[in-house]
Amino acid sequence: MRFVFTIAALLLSMPILAHSPLFDCYDNGDGTATCEGAFSDGSAAVGVGIRIELASGRILMQGEMDDASSYSFEMPDEEYSVYFEAGEGHEIVLFGDDIY
Amino acid sequence: MKLIKSLVPAVLVTASSYASAHFLVVHTPEMLVERSTDFEMSIVFTHAFAGGPTMEMGEIEDFYAMQTKLGADEMTRIELSEYLTEVQWHAGDETRTAYTAVIPRATMRSLGDYQVVVNPEPYYEAEEDIYIQQITKVILNVGGAPTNWDQTLGLATEIRPLNKPYANWEDGVFRGIVLSSGEPVPFAEIEVEYLNYQPDFENLRFDEDAELEAPTPAHEYVSLRTDANGTFSIGLPEEGWWGIAALGVGPVTEHNGKELSQDAVLWVQAKESD
Repeated sequence: MRFVFTIAALLLSMPILAHSPLFDCYDNGDGTATCEGAFSDGSAAVGVGIRIELASGRILMQGEMDDASSYSFEMPDEEYSVYFEAGEGHEIVLFGDDIY
Repeated sequence: MKLIKSLVPAVLVTASSYASAHFLVVHTPEMLVERSTDFEMSIVFTHAFAGGPTMEMGEIEDFYAMQTKLGADEMTRIELSEYLTEVQWHAGDETRTAYTAVIPRATMRSLGDYQVVVNPEPYYEAEEDIYIQQITKVILNVGGAPTNWDQTLGLATEIRPLNKPYANWEDGVFRGIVLSSGEPVPFAEIEVEYLNYQPDFENLRFDEDAELEAPTPAHEYVSLRTDANGTFSIGLPEEGWWGIAALGVGPVTEHNGKELSQDAVLWVQAKESD
């Protein structure tokens, strides 16, 4: 039973693992930023988790990519990073300073 | 006299290759950018392998990009004409009218494909007493997420790629279908040319040094035809930009009372491994 479950889990994870996650954010020029995520086969990342974390480790915001595979947020004044949670080993981190 | 005689065929071959090997170069340094940037584009009507002669361009009738946003089913048209600048492109001791465009990052910053279309007004080729109109596509990509590169745009004539035009390896194979009014064109005449002189956007000229040397003038462009289904395959033996032109395949065959060659052009980029 455990074997069957393991195979099923592997099969379920294959479509995502087979394609690299892609992620970027840009400054909207009004104090907000918009992030977009996708996979290298062109599929959208709708529902994929995203979190904004301060340098101190405190999680400032947490959410999911919307139907347009994007997530907008107000940029904090202090040092922060954006995490695109595309699965274990597939998390992408973008530093706040690299968002322009 | 013998020497002069032997030179004549060479001159004729060169002249005829110039006459038929026109290419609307629509160039930006990279078709695929990992992060969005301002796209600096050079739009020059020339002979891509030989780096000239360069022709005088008239108006550009359409300049736009078709984008499919992530998660969207339909394409969105982004007008780009406002970013065009008419320039004088250096061609030997003279200059020719050409265009540049700086497309701001904000215009094409989302992840995905942007099918850029340039539709120039027909050019009169006095040497052949015909008009030439090259409806040209360059498919750009931001971030590596493919969204519409394999979709047709409903152009009068176009090349539908069967490989991503912006993500090819050197020594790879590229395939496509030639379409006219949306239908495949069997046995269409195709010319393929390597962009042998890099466009210098800042100085409005092509680089002086060629990337490759052709063994003979006939090697400056590769000639082939589509098969019975309108498809074709080409090799990409060198890193860089390759232009593919399907000649005289468009539905409009006359302009100002003269023959019109309405061509479909697609540019493809190959990269070598690091």
